Formats: sequence, structure tokens, C-alpha cells
Amino acid sequence: MLPGVMLSLVISLAAPPQAAPPPPEAAAAMRDRVLEQAAAELQAGRRAEAKKLLASAAERFTSVRAMLQLARLQSGEGDAAGALATLDRARTLAPDTEEVLSAIAQVALAARRPVQALLALEPLTRLAPRIARHHYLFGVALMQAGDMPAATEALQAADRLEPGHNLTSIALGIALNSRKMFGDAKPLLLHVLEREPDNVEALAALAEAEEGLGELDAADSHAARALAATPSHPTANLVVGMVLMKRDRYQEARDALERAAAADTESPKVYYQLSLACARLGDSAGASRNRELYQQKLRAMEARIEELRRVGLPSRGEMPR
Amino acid sequence: MKSLRPIHGLLLAASLGSLAGAAGSSSVSPFRDVTREAGVTFEHHAAPEKKYIVESMSGGVALFDFDRDGRLDLYLVDSLTVDTAGDPKAARSALYRNLGGFKFEDVTDKAGVGHPGWGMGVCVADVDGDGWDDLYVTALGGNKLYTNGRNGTFSDVTAAAGVGAAGWSTGCGFADYDRDGDLDLFVARYVRMDLTKLPQFGKDKTCEYRGIPVQCGPRGLPGESDFLFRNDGNGRFTEVGDKAGVADRGASFGLGIAWFDANDDGWPDLYVANDSMGNFLYLNRKDGTFEEAGFPRGVAVSEDGSEQGSMGIALGDYNRTGRFSLFVTNFAEEYNALYRHDGAHFTDVSFRSKTAASSLPFVGWGTTFFDYDNDGWLDLIAVNGHVYPQLDKARLGASAGYRQRALFYRNKGDGTFDEVGRTLGGPFAVERVSRGSAVGDLDNDGRLDVVINDLDGSPQVLRNEVPDAGNWLIVKLRGAGANTNAIGAVVTARAGDVRHVRLVQSGTSYISQDDMRLHVGLGASTSADVVEVRWPDGTTTKREQVKANQIIEIAQPTTPSR
Repeated sequence: MLPGVMLSLVISLAAPPQAAPPPPEAAAAMRDRVLEQAAAELQAGRRAEAKKLLASAAERFTSVRAMLQLARLQSGEGDAAGALATLDRARTLAPDTEEVLSAIAQVALAARRPVQALLALEPLTRLAPRIARHHYLFGVALMQAGDMPAATEALQAADRLEPGHNLTSIALGIALNSRKMFGDAKPLLLHVLEREPDNVEALAALAEAEEGLGELDAADSHAARALAATPSHPTANLVVGMVLMKRDRYQEARDALERAAAADTESPKVYYQLSLACARLGDSAGASRNRELYQQKLRAMEARIEELRRVGLPSRGEMPR
Repeated sequence: MKSLRPIHGLLLAASLGSLAGAAGSSSVSPFRDVTREAGVTFEHHAAPEKKYIVESMSGGVALFDFDRDGRLDLYLVDSLTVDTAGDPKAARSALYRNLGGFKFEDVTDKAGVGHPGWGMGVCVADVDGDGWDDLYVTALGGNKLYTNGRNGTFSDVTAAAGVGAAGWSTGCGFADYDRDGDLDLFVARYVRMDLTKLPQFGKDKTCEYRGIPVQCGPRGLPGESDFLFRNDGNGRFTEVGDKAGVADRGASFGLGIAWFDANDDGWPDLYVANDSMGNFLYLNRKDGTFEEAGFPRGVAVSEDGSEQGSMGIALGDYNRTGRFSLFVTNFAEEYNALYRHDGAHFTDVSFRSKTAASSLPFVGWGTTFFDYDNDGWLDLIAVNGHVYPQLDKARLGASAGYRQRALFYRNKGDGTFDEVGRTLGGPFAVERVSRGSAVGDLDNDGRLDVVINDLDGSPQVLRNEVPDAGNWLIVKLRGAGANTNAIGAVVTARAGDVRHVRLVQSGTSYISQDDMRLHVGLGASTSADVVEVRWPDGTTTKREQVKANQIIEIAQPTTPSR
């Protein structure tokens, strides 16, 4: 789902690791030469050659830096599994390295593997508790995993460390919306839009909060603005669908909800609302089909939470019931 | 369970770059806690630590006139604990006779209804059609049907009637689902519980809450099927749940129940609140079977598709459309759901009606729509209390603690409510661990009172002392046949342009029983132009120009016996 450009950005954030054992001088010089060569190949557009060189450096010199660079290339090509395998090896060599953990987290997040991301982010937030970004990413990963109460806590921690950051505020707004705390989400999102009036994510999240609060006209208006910029935006389409449902315009609601489902195939809410729209249109087959999909998505979400527990991550949700 | 929200690449992508670098008025409460001065000394028993879910769910309460003296009496259900399970006398449910003037007398021993076992809930009906109300008490390990001996005593006729229902029963309610003239019984069941193999407290991640060990369940534990007992008309019942399609072979965690006509076809339908699973709406097919339609009708889950931890049910025409909407109390971090009845379907208007947001921190149980100030609009109460005493040691986040105040919603008359519990103060500001609740007019003054059964200790008898209440009418129905309370009858009272619709229900709130007499607040109207009764058999009776501020009885004209 995430473009290679972003993954490059993710990995480029990683500085040379400090925890890896220093190689002997000669070996270090050789390693540096190979890395330079790899960089040159990459510069020349020969990615395959660059990858070979990096793999070789990673193997011969057990170079964590080579592994990080190789992972960047792999994830840039959409090979998240390969990138994560490479990074796991780097983590074995440098287990408590902020850069390695951060890279794992970001690649895993981009690949929508929240549990893997959380397994890196959880120690990262302990290693560097005052870095807002780690808490932010922890919150985003928890959101992906479906643990919204824990996500809220992590995002609030990020907000305390770096108050008023737009992205944190938006993510927090989305998490609060998920917890139906629309009244708390709305002012956060309005504040973001004061600073960045055309932020599509903030517009869509604000529309969702307003829809939840029953402010249907405002929700419709903000969702329309988000859709003008991003016609396939899942949240904005969902909001439009919800507003139309409440206005008893079921045919149009179904169309909007189908657009939302196409953009976000994992949302139980979208399929549940689709099943209601179909039922109200007398389309019992559609209602049944969407209800089945809704239940599949719900069970998948439960499985993700269950996985959080299984791997021992501190799910702080309401899951016992 | 919360929905997974779309986390946009854009949001994440942008983050990596940018973050990398860097109350109200002080009005007097209209309700006063008069429990002690009323002489109600009942104490509900529960293990202090609630290590097992079976120690957290009890506490029904019933308001009914067992001695037919015109005053509502009071029955409170008590429960055993794992430690006292071997001694049935360790729990004592209590029947209090209303002496008038808000004085009650404990008549439990004479009545013989003190030890139903590990009690849970209660519902009332005149099961044998003799004109005297009987009691059905749900329990862990077998329920009790106590028939009224008309002399202050009751007889346990459970075995003879065949309504013992093994396992862990919770909600119950009577209705004439097959319209044969006598009352049938639905019983919801919760979790399959074997006291010799109890799930170990805090044993794994499924028995943790916010990182602290707590009781296990209901998720992770096996659920139970439900029962429908058809009245055979000879003192015996036959269990027909499977045949009728309401047995819940999927074994959901059933709690509150409500019989009502959801599709206005004159036949009783059935709504079942399930904890942590979708709720059921069984539509009566009029042939002895039901069709489950919770999802297509929009009353199974929350608006975002979450399966909520549903407990109690209130049924009421809060928006004066002539249709009964559903209010369902739920677990913390979920919202209490108001499903507005729109005719062909229901619409979740919880947030729009302003009942949802205030409920998020609370674990909700007993609930009833009632017009506390007689202004003509149905208000709403929801009593609360968590299930984990250990919670007070944990980070609370958005949730309230173990003890929680009640929510009191004043109907604004425009489809929305004001939650005024905290500002009303008095008993609503006190944090308790409440379970069952029931509403009725204990002193026949036209102002509805509230009784709440708490899990730990004393109940709450709340006397309504609202000043300047509007005019009112209480209608007591007398059915012609075996259904002497006319359970399932609908009363419509018209005053000017305003139409008030009420339903006679057996089994209400959270495993409790509200007063079966129907109360209508008339506001400034000094009379009802018309009071019309639609009896359970579909016939109707009208009274015109009924003066306000009185209790009237309307008897069903005798009809040919079935």
C-alpha cells in the first residue's frame, strides 16, 4: 500500500548503527569500499547490482549498515518480507539499536504488519522515552492493530512531548473517533485545520467527528472538501454514506459506502452499514453478502487483537469482554 | 471491540518526515434515598473480589402488588458466592410488603421466597390466571416459579410446571407469543458455568483488563442457549425454543430481554440483549416460530458494527411517534445504544439523541424510560457499576472506576436528552455498583419512584419528590382471560394533539420487573380525551374524557374462551 518513495524515506532516516561491533580496520575499509560501490551502482540506476553488493557486504562483514541499506532497497521494491528478514538479522546483531528498531517499525507499518511494528516500537519507546516520533508511531501501529484505547494513550504521550503537532493531533482525532469520543476529537481537528486548512486527513476525520455528533450538514461539507482533493478517501466516503443513511437516501448511501469499501477493504463498519443500506433497499442478498463480509472483517480484527496478546504486547483495550 | 480505522499512507508518510526532525446548576434532586427509613434492610451478597464472573451479574428487582392491596410491593434478588455456594441459606432474597407511606415490612419468611438459590433476576406474571401475581426467579443452577397463594404465601411449583431451566439463567419475561390466551415464558441464559471447574482468576491475557488480573469472561468462556416455555394451559409448560427458532444454538451470552410488537402486526416479538455479541430481534411469524432479524432491522450491534456488551433494555415511545424504541445499556468504552423505531427498521440515534457520549465511561445495567416529572415526555435512567473491583488499582483512562454514578436523562422533547444525573445530585451523584432497577409508583402519588438493587450491600429506594410535577394518569389493566395483567396490551392516551403510548411488559430493565401499571405524564392537560387499550388478542377498549391524577382500572370485556 505504501509507495517505495516513502519506504526510502523511512530507511534513509536510519543513521549508521553504533551498537554493531567495530570490524578490524582493513575489513572496515573493504566494507566501506563495497558500500561506496553499491551507492554508485544505485546512483547509476543499477539497483540489482547495488543489492548484490549490499547483500555481499551484509554477509561478509556482518554490516548492519549494509543491511539497513539493503532493506531500504527491498522495501522500495515492495518486498516488505525481504526487508523485514534483512532487518531482523540486523536486529540480531544490534538488538537494542534505535535505528534498527525504528527501521523495522516503519517498514512493518508500511507493510501493514502492526504486530511486527509494535514488537519494535514497544522497546523503542522504552529506550528513547522522550522521542515523540516513537510514541506517535507506536500509536499508529496500535491503531492498525485495532487497539484504540492503547493507541490513544500512545498518541497522547506523543502530544505531551511535542504539543500541537498536526500529525499527532490528526492521529489522535482518528483514534478518539474510533472510540466514539467525537466531542474530544472535534476541537483537536479544528485546531489542525486552523493551521493547515486543506489537510485532507483532518477534514475527513473532522467530518467523521461531526457525523458522530449528529452535525450532519457540517459533516457533509467537510467530507465533500476531503473528497474534492481525494475522491477515493475511505473515511470521507464513509461519512457521506452515513449522512445519506441518516437522511434515508439509501441508494446514494450504498454508492458512497461501496466507494468507501473499495478504498478500505478491512473496515467492519463500512460493510455493516452497507448491509443496512441493502436491507433498507430490499436487497436481501446484498444485505446478507455484506453482513458476511462485515463479520469476516470483525473476526479478522479480533484475531489481530488476539495476536497482540499472544505475543505479549500490552493491549490496554477492553478486550476481556 | 473497536473498529479498525483506515490509517492512511499519507498520514504515516508525512509523519516520518516531519516528526523525524522533531457542571452545572445546583438544583435539588427530585429523588431522595429513603431506603433506611422505609425499613428496607436487604443486603445483596457478592464476593469482595469478584474473582469469577458469576459473582458479578446478579441483582434483579421486582415491583408488583402481590397482596392486591393497591400498593406496589418489592422483591429483591440475592446471590450466593463461590465460597457460599454450598449453603443456599447464605443468600436471602427478600419480599417487602408495602404498608403505605413509604414504609415496608419484610414478609419474606412467611412468603417463602427467600431462598431461590444463586439468584439472578426476576419477572412477574399471573402465570396461573387466578388474578394474583406470581414470581419467576432466575438463578444459577435452576430457576424458581413461585405461585401466589393469595394469603401472603407462595408455593414453589417449578418442578410441576417444568420451568426449572438448568444452567445459568438471567433475563426472563412472560408473553402470549402464540396468542392462545395464556402466558408463555422466555428465559435467557448467559455462560456455561461449572462451579467445580471455574476459570482461574487472571489466568491469561483473556482474564486481564488494562494489564491487571481480573475475572475471566464472558469472552473465552462457553455461552448458553436460551429457553422458550410454551404454556400448555394445565399448569405445565413445554420447552419449545428449538422449534420456535429462539433457542440460540450459537450460545450467545444472553442477559436482558424485552417482549414487544416490533413490527406492529399485533403479535409479540422478542428482543434479547447479548453480552459481547450481536443482540437478537426475533420477529414472530404467527405460526409458533420466529425469524431472527436483529441485523437487517439495525438493532444487533453498534453503529460501527461493534458487538457491544449489552445488559439491560428499556422500551419506550420517547419521541411520541406511537412506536417503541429500544435503549440498550452496554459495557464501558461502548455507548448505551438508542435504537429509534422508524417503522420498517430502527436507526441508531445514540449520539444524535445525546445519550451516548455520557455513557462511554460506564458499565450500564438497569434502565427504564419513564416520565419522572409528568411533563409528557419519557425520561430515562441507566444505573451503572463496573464488574472488576480491581479496576480501582488500574489506570482508569476514559472509564469510571468500579463504583459509578447513575445516568439520568431528561427528555427535551426534540429527540434529544440532557444527562442531568450529576447536576441533580442526591442519589444520582453517589457512586454505587448497581445492577437491576425497576420503576413504579410506590406511594400512588402519580410520581414514579425508582428501586435499584446494588451488587454490594444495600439497595436504593428512591422516592420521587419532584415539585411542580405535571398531571398524570395511571392505567391498570385487567385482562379477561388467563392473562389477567394483559401483558402485551398497548395503551394509547390522547390529550389534545399529544399521543402517549405505553406497553404492559413482563421482564424489563436488567433482569428486573417494572410496575405493570401504565403511567402517563399529561403535563398541563387535566384529562385525557381518549384512553384506548389494544388488548393482546387485538380487540380494543376505549374510555373518553378520563380525568387526570387518578389510577384507573380498565377491564377487558369478556370474550369467548379459547
